[in-house]
Amino acid sequence: MEALHPRIRLLWIAQAAITAIVLGVVLAAVDQWVVDVPTAIIAGVVAVGIVLGSAYAIRLYQVWRFEIQPDALYLERGVVTFVETAVPFVRVQHVDTQFGPIERALGLSSVVVYTAGSRNADVRIPGLTPDRARELQDTLRELAVESEADDAV
Amino acid sequence: MNRLHPLSAVTYALQYGFLWLSLAMVLTVVLGGVFDPIGSTWFLVAAPLGFVAGVAYGIAYYYRFEYGITPDTFDVSSGVVARRSREIPYERIQNVDVRQGVLQRLLGLAIVSLETAGGGTTEATLNFVSESEARRLQDRIRQRTAEMKERRRRREREAASEVEPSEPSEPTPDDERDAAEPVPGDETDTVEPSVPEPTPANESEPVAPEDRRERPPEPTRPRRQRLFDLEARELLLYSFTSFRPAAVATVLVVFFFATDLILELLVTIAQPFGGPEGIGEGTTASYGILTIVSAINGIIITYVLSVAYTFGTYYDFQLGRTGEDFVYERGLLQRYSGSIPVEKVQSVTVTANPLQRLIGYAGLWVETAGYGPDSNGGSQSAVPLAKQGRVHRFTENLTGVETPSFASPPPMARRRYLARYSIIATVIVAIFFGLSWITPFEAWYVSAIVFLAVPPAAHLKYVNLGYYVGEDHLVIRRGFWSRRTTVIPYYRIQTVNTRRSIFQRRLGLASLVVDTASSRTFFWTTPTIYDVDLEDARDVHTTGRKRLQSALRERARDDEMGLSVDFT
Repeated sequence: MEALHPRIRLLWIAQAAITAIVLGVVLAAVDQWVVDVPTAIIAGVVAVGIVLGSAYAIRLYQVWRFEIQPDALYLERGVVTFVETAVPFVRVQHVDTQFGPIERALGLSSVVVYTAGSRNADVRIPGLTPDRARELQDTLRELAVESEADDAV
Repeated sequence: MNRLHPLSAVTYALQYGFLWLSLAMVLTVVLGGVFDPIGSTWFLVAAPLGFVAGVAYGIAYYYRFEYGITPDTFDVSSGVVARRSREIPYERIQNVDVRQGVLQRLLGLAIVSLETAGGGTTEATLNFVSESEARRLQDRIRQRTAEMKERRRRREREAASEVEPSEPSEPTPDDERDAAEPVPGDETDTVEPSVPEPTPANESEPVAPEDRRERPPEPTRPRRQRLFDLEARELLLYSFTSFRPAAVATVLVVFFFATDLILELLVTIAQPFGGPEGIGEGTTASYGILTIVSAINGIIITYVLSVAYTFGTYYDFQLGRTGEDFVYERGLLQRYSGSIPVEKVQSVTVTANPLQRLIGYAGLWVETAGYGPDSNGGSQSAVPLAKQGRVHRFTENLTGVETPSFASPPPMARRRYLARYSIIATVIVAIFFGLSWITPFEAWYVSAIVFLAVPPAAHLKYVNLGYYVGEDHLVIRRGFWSRRTTVIPYYRIQTVNTRRSIFQRRLGLASLVVDTASSRTFFWTTPTIYDVDLEDARDVHTTGRKRLQSALRERARDDEMGLSVDFT
């Protein structure tokens, strides 16, 4: 089983921090225009948000695993709800590599696998180095083409 | 290329005429507020001008809208200024629906819409064509799709026959299992060396003459066979035993728009039972009576509406087959007719609510990946309601599934529901407690009565859960209020997920989500086997994956449909 790149923790922590700060700004706005919110509470909320978010990010990194098995792409992830997903190669519609601004700054990239399913129709593997992402994309594409089934949806 | 029915020019003209008229009016008002010289007299010029321009646009739209049937695709090009031409390959078409409202039925018109699996909307809408044209289109598209399929199948068979000689005559189940697991370095792999090497002679075996052969003698209307008609008795039972959320929405909307009138009416109705004289002049007791009487009124009205709605929607329901497609027709005022290629059916679901179970009836639905005319996504009712035994027989005939013997989740699961519902009950009591602080209502502890409902609720949820791992199908049953038994052929599985929440992990339980390509629906969740032992969940997970591979292989070889159309 392959783990994600350790730097993904930074990305997730950054995301949690941004969310916490946005929440803090909203609270400050409430304080300004609606009701008084003590500054200590705002600071506390932001701090707790960042701490919880970081703990979540670290735990998520620890449990995130993926693997290319003979017939399917297999992933394990989730802190609160642990999910084991198998995406058979025959079901892969197309494969993307993507990266957002923070990911780009951290030198990371994601692979997104699309299926025709209704739920979990797109499966994302975050936290890959761009090279690894490209390699994975190529592998998955080849495997998908190889095992093509003609039962069109 | 064909045009729409000439009457649609009129409707487009009027539609755009009034749209642009109102646009012109809004524009003059807005601009009049900004620039002084623009006054109210501009209305007199702007409004007719907008209307005329709109009519012109509508007519131009009609003339610029064209559709046509080509050998491989259904083409639609539209747009006055920005042109869009779209080609939809027949193989991708999920269903062809024909809709007729009351007015359209009087005028002999119909709306045709084509659905494909991709995207969230209808791929093409022909608004309007004549009734006969709609029928012709439906038939022709179906015919073309069947031809494409046949051609593809033949090509595959030819390709397969080239491979055949080097393969052992009939693979035994054991061989198959080996082949199903492409273990790297497996030396006994017999399929490997027989890589098809198309010889140039075969490759160039011309497609053209075959093409000519394929083309059928022009308009042969495929024969239509009856599969199921909803009888009057079944229609009535269905209307009275099913409940439509749409009825609630209607009641709420009407209440929102005529609040005063309805409140007055409610007060008048409640008066003979001891309700207040008017709003704001009653005692606590009379208000209580008003609330209860109004609630009963509301429920009755919603129910009656729901019955009427179901009756109108499923009036004269007929299911038939044409070739390898299901075709259905239904509706009292608004008539729907649609076709579902059997090949596109993803899963089959038997539904029954408590009332229907009580009288021993059930319904049968088929799920496709397209979007249907109803709000229920790609779910189409194949048999709205029939005797349970019949529906079960239909399901077995249709899918070929053996009679399932359901396995239950471990009793531990029931404990989970007990805990879950207790939490909900506690929240309800807490809400009442909170209410007692801000309203004169004081007896909040009476609400503790909801705890009585917890054990039966948990039990009912538990006993309705079940799953069966069949030879070729996975059968999942769940739900008390609307119990759904879904039959998923292994070859339709998209992904399998084993999910464990923190609570489930503590109890060693897991839920297995089996995703198919059926459309996302609001009310119908993805088929899930809830709260089974982790080990069992993993077993089913692996089985599903393995059987998906072997089933696909088998399908490719045997070239079979998987579903039989004549299921009744």
